[in-house]
Amino acid sequence: MTKWQIFKNGVFNENPTFRMVLGMCPTLAVTTAVVNGLGMGLATTLVLVGSNVIIALLRHLIPKEIRIPAYIVVIATFTTIIDKTMAATTPDLHGVLGIFIPLIVVNCIVLARAEAFASKHNVLDSTFDGLGMGIGFTLALTLLSFIREVVGTGTLLEATDFGFEGFHLFSDELGVKLLILPPGAFITLGLLLAGINWYVARKEEKAHE
Amino acid sequence: MGKQEWRLILVLTVICVLSGGVLGWVNALTAPVIEEQRELAKQRALQKALPAATTFVEEEALPKELESLGLEGIVEVHRAYHDGEEKGYVFIVDQRGYAGPIRMAVGVTPLGNLSALTVIDQSETPGLGAKIKNDKFLKQPAFQEAQVGAELAVKKDRGEVDAIASATISSRAVVRGVNTALSAAQSLLEVETTSGGEGVD
Repeated sequence: MTKWQIFKNGVFNENPTFRMVLGMCPTLAVTTAVVNGLGMGLATTLVLVGSNVIIALLRHLIPKEIRIPAYIVVIATFTTIIDKTMAATTPDLHGVLGIFIPLIVVNCIVLARAEAFASKHNVLDSTFDGLGMGIGFTLALTLLSFIREVVGTGTLLEATDFGFEGFHLFSDELGVKLLILPPGAFITLGLLLAGINWYVARKEEKAHE
Repeated sequence: MGKQEWRLILVLTVICVLSGGVLGWVNALTAPVIEEQRELAKQRALQKALPAATTFVEEEALPKELESLGLEGIVEVHRAYHDGEEKGYVFIVDQRGYAGPIRMAVGVTPLGNLSALTVIDQSETPGLGAKIKNDKFLKQPAFQEAQVGAELAVKKDRGEVDAIASATISSRAVVRGVNTALSAAQSLLEVETTSGGEGVD
């Protein structure tokens, strides 16, 4: 596979959220506002690329029997570095995402890519895989939070923590409050998954004809 | 144990030691900066709660007068000054919201008027309860006109405060915080007027 194909694979064919349905905990929890979804996606991308690079570098040194604990230590180290760095340099963003950053450790996308890709490929390929998967995850979270924020509250890109009021599309009295509550996350994700599955199935059918 | 097992132990130990070393180094670099940022954020909150003042002196311990009142949630009391002149108090108060504690700073002037309030830390539902930190809620007239001695309540509880739609619990928590700060201010200000006015020795 070329680098571009590896990248594209993560964004579309094997999109972690919509095709593999991995990392559901942050997906459901943070997608109440576009700013949060985007921030979480980018932070995960950083961890993903970092852990993929280290694991690809160490892939001949780590014995098979202890690979899982070794990966977890690498991933936890990267997550903590990013957590501390964000707290020191971007305290506002860290204040919003604070509770979710440590949870990147248990995001199964990161471990899944370490096990399924980085441990079997070279550093450069693993970097592109991390980027592709990370961007795929970020796009999925952004799409999900876009629907939930706009329909649920009538605002777009509201980020008062950064002094940005966002765009008010309609009165928040008309917002479907259910969508920004936890059940709304399941409902929106379910509808999106159904739509994407339907599209993929139709495309495959056409290819067979 | 065979040679293979020892190798596993060695590799995992080396990985953990390296990771520990890197984390220690990162922590040593970032900890002072994080502490500085936290201090800055607090100063900003104090300033916002009482814009008339420029320096804030934290009370070493909670004043005795407050302990007897049994007020819950007061974390810190700051005396506020501008050019050496007393400008009132800022209380940092914790109250339980819907998803977790809400920490706010409430400023009270020497005359017993509420100056302003600001939310420092909260984990309410984004898009719903999290709106308690918006100016639209915090700068409403009910808060701006509040005075010592008043007991505020949200409209649902027959009060005067406009709660955030579908987030009554979060709104109530802020109102409770304001009430706590106002009663604390009342007792502190009373002590001052009695001891200062009559010259009691």
